[in-house]
Amino acid sequence: MGLTYQHFENTEVVIGILALQGAFVEHQATIQNLSVKRKISVSLVRTVEDLELCDALIIPGGESTTIALLARLAGLLEPLRAFVKTKPVWGTCAGAILLSQVVEGTKKGGQEVLGGISITIARNGWGSQVESFEADLEVEGLRDSQTPFTGIFIRAPVVLTLTPSPADPPIQVIARLAPNLLPPSLPSLEDDDPKTIVALRQGLHFLTTFHPELTHDDRFHEYFVRECVLARAE
Amino acid sequence: MSTPAPTTPTIQATSAPQGAGTSSTPTTAPARSSQREGGNSLGTFGVKSGLAQMLKGGVIMDVINAEQARIAEEAGACAVMALERVPADIRAEGGVARMSDPQMIKEIVDAVTIPVMAKVRIGHFVEAQILQAIGVDYIDESEVLTPADDEHHINKHGFKVPFVCGARDLGEALRRISEGAAFIRTKGEAGTGNVVEAVRHSRAVFSQIRRASVMNEEELYLFAKEIQAPFHLLKETARLKRLPVVNFAAGGIATPADAALMMQLGCDGVFVGSGIFHSGDPAKRARAIVQAVTHHNNPKILSEVSEDLGAAMVGLTIDGNLKGGLMAKRGH
Repeated sequence: MGLTYQHFENTEVVIGILALQGAFVEHQATIQNLSVKRKISVSLVRTVEDLELCDALIIPGGESTTIALLARLAGLLEPLRAFVKTKPVWGTCAGAILLSQVVEGTKKGGQEVLGGISITIARNGWGSQVESFEADLEVEGLRDSQTPFTGIFIRAPVVLTLTPSPADPPIQVIARLAPNLLPPSLPSLEDDDPKTIVALRQGLHFLTTFHPELTHDDRFHEYFVRECVLARAE
Repeated sequence: MSTPAPTTPTIQATSAPQGAGTSSTPTTAPARSSQREGGNSLGTFGVKSGLAQMLKGGVIMDVINAEQARIAEEAGACAVMALERVPADIRAEGGVARMSDPQMIKEIVDAVTIPVMAKVRIGHFVEAQILQAIGVDYIDESEVLTPADDEHHINKHGFKVPFVCGARDLGEALRRISEGAAFIRTKGEAGTGNVVEAVRHSRAVFSQIRRASVMNEEELYLFAKEIQAPFHLLKETARLKRLPVVNFAAGGIATPADAALMMQLGCDGVFVGSGIFHSGDPAKRARAIVQAVTHHNNPKILSEVSEDLGAAMVGLTIDGNLKGGLMAKRGH
């Protein structure tokens, strides 16, 4: 339909948000209000047809067991796994669990994941809801990076080990919890312990164990779009 | 379990009157970082209402033991509500319904990885202290149990654990939020398998929000007085054109179509109480309701998941003769 003749800058980039369960509306609103140089449209993904339209995907927070089951029932598991192999994907909290290669602390019988990032992650790593917390994060590479970002950690997962093979893209740590902000349940960790990692990137894949979509701060969304989605499109 | 944060009030404080001990919180506005001291802050309104946001588009199922909790988890429940008797049985058996045995709640917590909620009687802040100490993820201050206080609700600001409360209209919802509820549900009429009251309550809330959203400030002052709601919360609701916290449907939902109906009316998710484990094939019905909530706008998928579910729970007509009485009238 003539798309090939359009100037590249004018083509729209479609960012899908997996909308099976969880806080997908919050991501949708934040992405829609971003001001970036390329035209971006947001699409909620509930079926295989929805996914086929997307250039990138955000997997929101929610219950990872519920999202995985609904993905399987909707016939989305394999299409999502294929999508993750080639396209930019960001997972927040439950989404981070689904993007991990190995998950610990799963329900009996285990849990289906999509993979994509070479780490082992533990569900509910800090404990139950009464251990949920907010903490200020210092993040290099964000716009306005001297202003801390309020990380909201809700029954958050914890990164246990980084397991990249030589063939994988390197893992880049984007944010860590400062030692004085660690939950009291984990009194002392070495500075470079993977458990302090709360945001990381591997190639086109990005994960945060906290919820940027619950704040009014769009800097992580802007980062994902700039570094993972548009950098690739250019 | 971990040790409590030194920066955070806990129920070990000997003179703590209500909950976790921020007894000096006269503030009614849900503020992020309300208990922020130092860097890492637990129990903020942000993490309380945030967990409810993570449950959106999901189904919270009543379960009475670890086995049912596992069935619910496998069926895709985003959380379970642990209680000794589902509302239909409370109706049938009568008597005073209280908080469940902590031992039984702990067994359910150990059996599943999804959040576990449990109910306390309206106004019974000591039952709430006990549930917080066990480490449940959410407390339902519920009209399904026999009220412990027929005038006062729990001051929920003082707890680290978040609360969900029932409401029949906007005024009641905002009064509960003002007391610290981080999550609202319709009351409906629990244990009846009859969705009519849940529809009535959610229509009332949404219609009042639509009216408020076009009012000017003078009219909002008057409306706040009429519906007995705190003005600042009403103003915020009018600005947002929705409740400032997550809003689920509850009370009488029995089929996938009921669940999709509540979603299309504008609810963020559903609670299903007696409707699952009082039906012919609980696992299949539970999974169908989970799918119906996600695909609530897709009649083709709704028709597929509604097929061949076996017998639904027996429904009751809601009138003055309803056995067990009208639970929705408890609390105000």
